[in-house]
Amino acid sequence: MKIHVDFDSQWEEGLLDKIESDGPWANWELYKLAVEVEKHLVVPEFEGLQAPKHLPQLKPLPHQLEAAREVVENMHGKAILGDEVGLGKTIEAGLILKEYMIRGLVKKVLILVPASLVSQWAYELNSKFHIPAVAQRKSYVWEAYDVVISSIDTAKKQPHRDIIFEQQYDLIIVDEAHKLKNNKTKNYEFVQSLKKKFCLLLTATPIQNRVDEIFHLVSLLKPGHLGNASLFAERFKGKKRDLNEDKRLKELVNKVMIRNRRADTGIEWTKRHVETVLIEFTEQERALYEAVSAFKPYGNESIGSAFSTLTLQREACSSRESVYYTLKKMLQKTEDPDAFYETKLKPIYALIDSIEQNSKAEKALELIKKIEDKVIIFTEYRATQMYLQWFLKTNGISSVPFRGGFKRGKKDWMKDLFEKQFQVLIATEAGGEGINLQFCHHLINFDLPWNPMRLEQRIGRVHRLGQEHDVMIYNFATRNTVEEHILKLLYDKIQLFERVVGELDDILTKLDIGKIEDYLIDVVGHSKTEGEMRIKMENLSSMISFAQDIKKGEMNAASGNS
Amino acid sequence: MQQAEIHKFLIQYFESNDCEIVETHPGYFVVQLTIDQDKLLMNRPFYWHYLEKTGGEPNPAKLTIITDPEQAPDDIKGEFIHFGSPRLHQIFETTKQLSSYIRLFEDCKSSSQQNPLFPWLGLNVKVSFQCNRKKDIFLSLGLNLISGQIHEAFHDQVLSLSVTPKIPDYSYTLSPLIMPKSGIARLDTHIRTSLSFEDHSWAEEAFTRWNNDLELLENFYQDQDKGESYETEKEALREQYEPRISIKVINGGLFYLSEAAI
Repeated sequence: MKIHVDFDSQWEEGLLDKIESDGPWANWELYKLAVEVEKHLVVPEFEGLQAPKHLPQLKPLPHQLEAAREVVENMHGKAILGDEVGLGKTIEAGLILKEYMIRGLVKKVLILVPASLVSQWAYELNSKFHIPAVAQRKSYVWEAYDVVISSIDTAKKQPHRDIIFEQQYDLIIVDEAHKLKNNKTKNYEFVQSLKKKFCLLLTATPIQNRVDEIFHLVSLLKPGHLGNASLFAERFKGKKRDLNEDKRLKELVNKVMIRNRRADTGIEWTKRHVETVLIEFTEQERALYEAVSAFKPYGNESIGSAFSTLTLQREACSSRESVYYTLKKMLQKTEDPDAFYETKLKPIYALIDSIEQNSKAEKALELIKKIEDKVIIFTEYRATQMYLQWFLKTNGISSVPFRGGFKRGKKDWMKDLFEKQFQVLIATEAGGEGINLQFCHHLINFDLPWNPMRLEQRIGRVHRLGQEHDVMIYNFATRNTVEEHILKLLYDKIQLFERVVGELDDILTKLDIGKIEDYLIDVVGHSKTEGEMRIKMENLSSMISFAQDIKKGEMNAASGNS
Repeated sequence: MQQAEIHKFLIQYFESNDCEIVETHPGYFVVQLTIDQDKLLMNRPFYWHYLEKTGGEPNPAKLTIITDPEQAPDDIKGEFIHFGSPRLHQIFETTKQLSSYIRLFEDCKSSSQQNPLFPWLGLNVKVSFQCNRKKDIFLSLGLNLISGQIHEAFHDQVLSLSVTPKIPDYSYTLSPLIMPKSGIARLDTHIRTSLSFEDHSWAEEAFTRWNNDLELLENFYQDQDKGESYETEKEALREQYEPRISIKVINGGLFYLSEAAI
């Protein structure tokens, strides 16, 4: 066996120069310090993690450290990080990256993530890991920086593609890697053609994939690990088998995959307490609600009219300001604004004017005063957000606004103000790119999103690793409105709010009913009678509990309990 | 490196580079940078360029460095420096950069007698063993440039002597028989020879892993044409696993020592 040995010759040239020109020579104190430094930087063992020593402010959880160690020591730096949602895959990836950088095994890094997560990744790597990662915005960045974050969509396009292939990357990280399950896509081909010395694929849902999908994912990482395409196809031909059914296959996959489950981590999740707060309209508010319910802006049965009526109804449950804002936008879009105003809007505007108080806002104020602690209020509407901020201010409570569209710096500033000074944060969008607010554990849903995933994201802002208290969720709904229907029939029935982070994600993926929000709009908007609506809702809720049972069965199978 | 060591290291670093320590307290200190250190550490070339063009009054930065936030008062604004902070690693790099080459004479403090000093070539090196994993060892070697004798743990030996950058009175240096260039070559050979006696199971294991993965790769491409992607994958495996040893000099230089020194 021959091992290549390389002696650094640069130093020699320097020495001869110094002798030639008789100095200048280093100062002895500094010389001694440099030796001290090097003795500290030397890593004398192949085993073990150095990264935690370099990151005193990061408090990784045991399963995250174990995952990083496993990937570096036993998976040789090529792995699928497949933890369930909320267990910190990004932390694991950061630890591995840091470890390789400290040991000098990795210098150039390419990180491919969905476009919406690019700045989040840059921010986390810089602030939590002291890794100078840069979001790719200009084409010179590829060459000028060592750690670059980009979306696959940008990276695979010219001129970027060619520049990327000229770089010598030591590590490639792909987030949301389940999107690479189809080997016929351009994205797959792109990632396949990259040279992967070390590679991490992050995905929360590797197991649900069909066997051929897992084959493609693993082949990206380690071609041949699951055999070749034709042999694999033969073996599983015609069988739509689940990965769990094949023990041998599962063992092989586990050699390249880290999969921590919430239940195995031993982390105690705090509870969620949900309280429904039913609100009575005032007479004027009720009048506005009835008026918009009967409102047919574009004639009687036109397409989209159920949708706009529903939108207005939901807005009427939130604030008169949001109704006004939507009507104003409608007016701008109509061909004959004057006539539209006279015939359709004038009566509704009159009703808006007559409203003297917002019953929900009054209730929120009462609640905030009672809580005497940090509170987050979520609303779907910007107009409501602005109104609430004004309303609370006039009642002596200062609050900070938060929107998904804020730039990173502003988001952090708002978070900081909320944490240190203000009692209330009013947010319109939870978004994947949001902030982590685990220092707060009271959340008011001023109005309810109809997309359960958005609701989950809202709650996920506060109910996450690091939350030390039980989380209180107050759901506001106005009596005898669409809101109450949705709340009662869907949320109460399937106990959406009490679920743990990520569970819903899995269930909805399984159900495959497309966009649940569209489904609900269809049910509420197009049902002819209350009875029809109720039956459709019952169907949906039994589908969800069915999916949940399947999932439970799977979990038991996976942990060998069945 | 513990926080207290970092504190001590930083003070030493700044003092060796003629920066004044303006205030020092448990857990934090304030240092006035010199112009040179500002240029090295503050990363503001435009400011210095501007100043040189306009002939303005240079105003090098004053840094407040916190090494223990528990001990430092809460209202102190400064930079918290720990083992992982980029600033510390920047200072590490600068330290190494500024001290690559040295020439020292032993100060024998003897009265009037004439002292011959023997020339030594001293090297501090880092040897790295790398495959898909990596470890390093630190070595310090000295070569007597007259006798050819090689001494290990050379740096520690020099630490115990009294040394000076100027040749002391009553001392004179002997001319080397071995030139520095061939001296370095001798030390290189010495390191390689001693490495060949080391346990290299780490490299054997890496070869085994490499071969296994190569086999899988062959199998994967069995029934499709081995195009560019096959070559890329193969190259990736080489980079991932190929065992290598690299010897890197941290610093070193010429040491003139008395016969009794080593």
